[in-house]
Amino acid sequence: MSGKANKAFTKEEELLLQDFSRNVSTKSSALFYGNAFIVSAIPIWLFWRVHALEMSSSLAWFALVTTASTWFLALAYRNTKFHLKHRIAVRREDAVAREMARKLADDKKMSRKEKDERILWKKNEVADYEATTYSIFYNNALFLTIVILSSFYLLRTFTPTVNYIVSLTTASGLLALLSTGTK
Amino acid sequence: MVTKYLFCVLALTTFGGAFASSCQNPQVEAASFTTLDATVVTHIAYITEFTLKCDNPLPENYALYAEVDGKSLTAARIGENKYQVSWTEEPAKARSGTHEIRILDEEGWASLRRARRADPAATVAPLLAIQLQHPGSYSGPWVNSEVLATALSVLVAYVALSNKSKILA
Repeated sequence: MSGKANKAFTKEEELLLQDFSRNVSTKSSALFYGNAFIVSAIPIWLFWRVHALEMSSSLAWFALVTTASTWFLALAYRNTKFHLKHRIAVRREDAVAREMARKLADDKKMSRKEKDERILWKKNEVADYEATTYSIFYNNALFLTIVILSSFYLLRTFTPTVNYIVSLTTASGLLALLSTGTK
Repeated sequence: MVTKYLFCVLALTTFGGAFASSCQNPQVEAASFTTLDATVVTHIAYITEFTLKCDNPLPENYALYAEVDGKSLTAARIGENKYQVSWTEEPAKARSGTHEIRILDEEGWASLRRARRADPAATVAPLLAIQLQHPGSYSGPWVNSEVLATALSVLVAYVALSNKSKILA
């Protein structure tokens, strides 16, 4: 191989890199931010209707807290997905390989290397999809639980504005912080 | 001796007069109201209005008194032979079911007072008794919505956490 070719990654290496990187595709990123925004905006209803937070005078707080919370939650989604993806890939490896082998068995023209590549690609796709959806579910569930618990019980005596700001930033910040852990 | 005799006659006439002015063969038509929704109130109100009909004409300002569950009340005169008895209770103490309102006239009231002085549990036959039906008041759902929301979200979070630890195990 020439020196130039050494620097460029092969297709397989690129797939592996993608498998192990924290970077997410644009589609995945859009999904994360979209979801994070929706989930961060939902508590506005809770505080407006249930905790009787004045809507017009709190618009600035709503915008600020929702933005911060969206950012934190997207970070938590990304990190959780990264942790989950490898484990899911390992768990799904055999099943995906078996299914792809059965599908590609008739294709005599395909080389073994290409078949392996296809399997790797499929495995990556399956693990990516499952990790993305599970990460969103996991973080949403914990976020809403923390928001409900803190707004109804821990910060019940505070004014709605303080309650709103502290509840949401704590919930999203805590999730973002926890997601950076290795476990 | 003479004074004693005179006193007896006076007493008889007084009682006779009293008997004449008290209601003979009382008939009553009552309508009542009780608080049914206790979510935003601090006290449960019981109100009953009744029209008293007697065989004999009643004097002006014929006073009536009421006794309910050991409480002494005065019936308010709100019209021609029309009276109202009302009282309030704390929601915790308000029991559902029938409350018997024992209506007494001035005389019965006085004899009840007298009897009570000797025996606090004494009763006298009332002029009439009105049954007030209180079906119980609604004091909110058994499970508060926030408790329900918390329980459900904790359940979902538990499922999420346990599944995650299963995946990462």
